[in-house]
Amino acid sequence: MTEQRVPVEDRTRFLERKEFKTARVLSLIGLVFLWELLARIGWVPRLFLPAPSAVVGEAVEMVASGELFRYLGSSLLRLALGFAIGALAGIVVGMAVGFSSLAEAVVMPVIAATFPIPKIALLPLLILWLGIGEPPKVAVIALGVFFPMAINSFTGVRNADPLLARAAVSFGAGRWSVIRKVMLPSALPMIFAGLKLGAGTALLLLVAAEMIGAESGIGFLILHAQNIMETTKLMVGIVVLSLLGVFSHWFLTWLERVAVPWKHT
Amino acid sequence: MRVVIERLSKTYQDRSGQSVEALQSIDLSVEEEEFLAIVGPSGCGKSTLLNIIAGLLTPSEGDVFFDGLRDGSHPPTAMVFQEFALFPWRTVLGNIEFGLEERGVAAGERHERAMRLVELVGLAGFEEKYPHQLSGGMRQRVGIARALAVDPAVLLMDEPFSALDAQTRQLLQIELLAIWERTRKTILYVTHNIQEAVFMADRVAVLSRRPGRLIAVVPVELKRPRSETMLGDARFLQTVDLIWGLIKADAEKALVSPEGG
Amino acid sequence: MRRVMAVALIAALALAGPAAAQERKVKVGVLKLTSSAPIFVGVEKGFFKEFGIEPELVFFQAAAPIATALAAGQVEVGATGLTAALYNIVLQGEKLWIVADKGREWPGYPLVGIVVQKELWNKGEVRSVKDLKGRRIGLTTLGSTFHFHLGNILEREGLRLADVKVIPLQAMPSTVEALKGKQVDAIMVPQPFPGTTEAQGFGKILAWAGDLYPWQIATVFYAKGFAADREKAMDFMKGYVKASRYYHDAVLVQKDGQIVPGRNYEEVVQITAKHTGAKPEIIKIGFPYQDRNGRLLVPDIETQMKWWVEHGFMKSLIPLKEIVDTSFIEAAIQAVKE
Repeated sequence: MTEQRVPVEDRTRFLERKEFKTARVLSLIGLVFLWELLARIGWVPRLFLPAPSAVVGEAVEMVASGELFRYLGSSLLRLALGFAIGALAGIVVGMAVGFSSLAEAVVMPVIAATFPIPKIALLPLLILWLGIGEPPKVAVIALGVFFPMAINSFTGVRNADPLLARAAVSFGAGRWSVIRKVMLPSALPMIFAGLKLGAGTALLLLVAAEMIGAESGIGFLILHAQNIMETTKLMVGIVVLSLLGVFSHWFLTWLERVAVPWKHT
Repeated sequence: MRVVIERLSKTYQDRSGQSVEALQSIDLSVEEEEFLAIVGPSGCGKSTLLNIIAGLLTPSEGDVFFDGLRDGSHPPTAMVFQEFALFPWRTVLGNIEFGLEERGVAAGERHERAMRLVELVGLAGFEEKYPHQLSGGMRQRVGIARALAVDPAVLLMDEPFSALDAQTRQLLQIELLAIWERTRKTILYVTHNIQEAVFMADRVAVLSRRPGRLIAVVPVELKRPRSETMLGDARFLQTVDLIWGLIKADAEKALVSPEGG
Repeated sequence: MRRVMAVALIAALALAGPAAAQERKVKVGVLKLTSSAPIFVGVEKGFFKEFGIEPELVFFQAAAPIATALAAGQVEVGATGLTAALYNIVLQGEKLWIVADKGREWPGYPLVGIVVQKELWNKGEVRSVKDLKGRRIGLTTLGSTFHFHLGNILEREGLRLADVKVIPLQAMPSTVEALKGKQVDAIMVPQPFPGTTEAQGFGKILAWAGDLYPWQIATVFYAKGFAADREKAMDFMKGYVKASRYYHDAVLVQKDGQIVPGRNYEEVVQITAKHTGAKPEIIKIGFPYQDRNGRLLVPDIETQMKWWVEHGFMKSLIPLKEIVDTSFIEAAIQAVKE
């Protein structure tokens, strides 16, 4: 047997995950291109799947006529209001419950009992209570956002490092100081996770709410376009909705970077 | 100002509901401008003692007094933690300013004082960094600066350097001594490292294994300022040996006893 | 996507050859409403079978989806209301043909009612169409026959759609519930709902819509492929003409504004009750009018399209000759002797 000189190789190389950036972009472009092609050669009737170019054309027309912004405007207003109310209430309740065991004893069973209710199911009830119009739409979004926010804030406070709270106290911090300067920033990453979760829920509930008794909004646009079989407008509605989802996620990610700099620098 | 500890005992319930006696009738006083080290085996209640002095724990029996305190409106102590306990969401400067904020010091003065401490602990240029961007040694410098910022009558240090590597630890010991020379704070320094205790302190209080009792208070006859060369000094070695002798029997019992450690 | 797949499936079946055609089955999309009675009569009385056609009824919840199903090839014949959806389907390149009358809003024949809250009526706040100004009016969807009808009634009274607040509530039962819950001031719903609201005491029928604005609300329409199979399409139409005459003579003949029940009145009521699941006494409140021979009001189709275009529900008009084909009904009227 001859002696060999064997170089050592990195045997974990196959575990590495490479970034195929061009592949990512190409797959998306390819899908749109294929779709356009299918529509152009008439394999799929445009009534059922309009070409991307037609959707873009329709969107441009709807922007020019101001129709799209009218719909988007009322949707954004509902989202913003519902989201703000739900998120704020969720944070306050979640933090109170996380900090005070009395609040936890009082509130937690209620949250545990009501959390599993699909919020869409409450919409008819809310309409009955609040009438047709803006209040039930905003309320259902607020409810949908409230729960993930409350639960995440609660978890965030609970997971706060007790050593930091003791350190704060050792430097003279009182109850409010500890809540404001230790609990709140400790919970912020969880709160942002809750916000992102809530954003998806909010969008879902927005569409659901705008499909009952609404005469404005992106949800209405989608349902209305389906009612009168204007498929291209329907597609515009869906595209706008998904863009809304993407942008709200980006916005929250950006906001998180600003508000939680210690996690990202 | 002196810290007077009288017949201090602490018993608490562990998870299985059993009473554990952490400290047993401790009598000890710390003099003004004194550097007192507390050594003892793991689990002897050293940290418990420090936390009681800091007002973070209620003793079961006995009292702690601050004798001759001029201003009773703020806690006269400031703590440096083994795990640093820096606020991750605050920059170096923000962490140092924390105690000042809680005392209602105006922003301008806060900044000025914090900046002086940044200089003192050698962190100039790192003011706007977040803790996770710093090395362990730098983090503990922030911890020390944060404690010194409130100008405490007593500085409580709970194994401040034990989470650091040996080299960094030694550098920081010397730096801390230098700071002490300049500020002349009363320091209560908890450590399990006898060499460290002897090297830094004026007196070393030796605690027994649980329940922690005060075995002896050993004066260190080394002149100040201390330097690394003293680590080979005969008096240094003798004092270390003396303390080790005091602890040894106790520590050996802890090794064979199921209750120890 | 299901529809797209259905298109593909139908295409595959069409390629498979005429085997399916020999059975002479025809899928007919209808609603479970009184207005579908002529189709029900044709099925039950065997008028279609006489001409070798076996209709297979496919039931839908609303008119617009029938037009969509027709375009997707899920049904070959539709028999329901004319909606903006149907016109838009044609505008987007899917061919279909409006071929015969299947019900009109007509004076003296209650179909769709404008119902107001009883309280508003009692207080004298809403006693006429003009009083609807500024009110919230519930109906199923925008672009529906109700929407068209409401708009035209308002315009006749010198108002515009913008003068009221139209609330789309999707389904007829939820529209009725909204009136009951006082979330809307008035609603537009077809029989039997208006009668029900009065019977339960929370609604008052302000007017029957057909009295205020008559129009060609419902038609029979053919899928492109079905119309191309001329012989089969003709045979279906022959059966339909026979059913239409039978229906007309049984339930639509009036004298001095009162229905004179024909010889087969009870039979038609029973057939309609069976297929709609409604009680005979509710069916008897009224049947919608339609031409005895099933002839279309052709100019009305153009009037409808103009209105939808004007109100932004259609992008442009469709030339009548590209959407209406009266040749089937005319030939069938000739072919079917009295």
